[in-house]
Amino acid sequence: MNKRTKQWLLRAAVGAVVGLVLGFIIGWWLWPVQYTNTAPVVLRQDYRDDYIVMIATAYEVEEDLEQARERLKLLDPREPATLVVELAERLIEAGGDADDIARLARLAWALGATTSTLIPYLEGPP
Amino acid sequence: MSTLSSLRAAPIIGLVIGLALGLAYTWVIAPVELVNTYPALLRTDYRWDWVRLAALSYVADGDMERARARLNGLKHEDVAGAMRALIEEYTAAGRSADILRRLTTLAEALDVHTPAMLVYLRTPTSPPLVPVSTPSLTPTLTPSCTPTPSCTPSPTATPTLTPPPTPHAFSPLSTPTIEPTGTPLPPTPTPPLLSRLRVVEQEQICEPGQRVHIEVVVRDERGAGVAGVEIWLTWPGGADRAVTGLKPQHGAGYADFNAEPGVSYALSIGELGMPLVTGLRIEPCPVEEGENPLMGSWRIVLGP
Repeated sequence: MNKRTKQWLLRAAVGAVVGLVLGFIIGWWLWPVQYTNTAPVVLRQDYRDDYIVMIATAYEVEEDLEQARERLKLLDPREPATLVVELAERLIEAGGDADDIARLARLAWALGATTSTLIPYLEGPP
Repeated sequence: MSTLSSLRAAPIIGLVIGLALGLAYTWVIAPVELVNTYPALLRTDYRWDWVRLAALSYVADGDMERARARLNGLKHEDVAGAMRALIEEYTAAGRSADILRRLTTLAEALDVHTPAMLVYLRTPTSPPLVPVSTPSLTPTLTPSCTPTPSCTPSPTATPTLTPPPTPHAFSPLSTPTIEPTGTPLPPTPTPPLLSRLRVVEQEQICEPGQRVHIEVVVRDERGAGVAGVEIWLTWPGGADRAVTGLKPQHGAGYADFNAEPGVSYALSIGELGMPLVTGLRIEPCPVEEGENPLMGSWRIVLGP
């Protein structure tokens, strides 16, 4: 390899490195992939929690357990009922809205996944 | 010269290759991770379901601020589309009036309108089915002064026109217009159509394969179907409600109910009051020998 070839390769390599850095900057910061048409599973945690509360509340109106289960499966296809129980228990710990907890408890019970913590809420806010 | 330009081109070639590799990596191989998104980014069907859930939650908890917060950030067209679909679905399914009133209240607050909402909109007084211009005479105090040393205003009854409550903007009924000036004509009271309805026709429908039901058709003086009439079907221990015109394929004045044999039904219109039909029962149709027994539905035509 002669000196000129080495020089050419060195320049090309420098250019490539600069190009890569530019590519990372553009692709991750300046012009990242724009997501639309997302699924509920990628919602931020507070939206996910609210989604579960809304499913439990809507279940009171619609009384459609399968519909509620299908909606929960969008968040966790394997154990949809666990989400309800977990959220209810988190809300109990955090002193959340008693009506929300009661709704979650009733949905959890309907899904066959209630726990002793939720039992007092089954008849409404204790 | 050729060597010089080749050396100058080297970094540009490298840059292009590096840029291509960098973009391929950041856009395809390892794009920005999709976490912590928000409802507005959901796919359309999920977005509409979000709106539906928020609306149904409002029905359950009546918390308008919470409903607004949940729908905040979503496009109005999504909210409107989903709300309309929900209200129309619930109306067609004959859901309870309370649920539909709440949905309608929310829809109104969100500036969403659909004809199916009409019958649930709360107005100060129930608007008449057929708008009748009935100007009311209201005495007002007008100071009449005569040039005397003691000028005291005396009350004089001056007829002024008070227009009836303005129908909702989406009412299909024509808005009566009243000239604000001029001598008012004596009102010609016309009873609303609702109060004049009676059973014009009642026939048993015997069609094999059809679900047993009670269908009601409301017609006006000219025989045209009247939409928006609230019909109640009551029976011992229960009641169902339907509104005419929500199944336009059957005509503007049509509404129907599911029915079961062995139950005695009563049919009323408007608010639950004096029923127009009582003791209505699903009965077997007359069949020829060898034919399968068939339960008949009822078709009831109401008119003035």
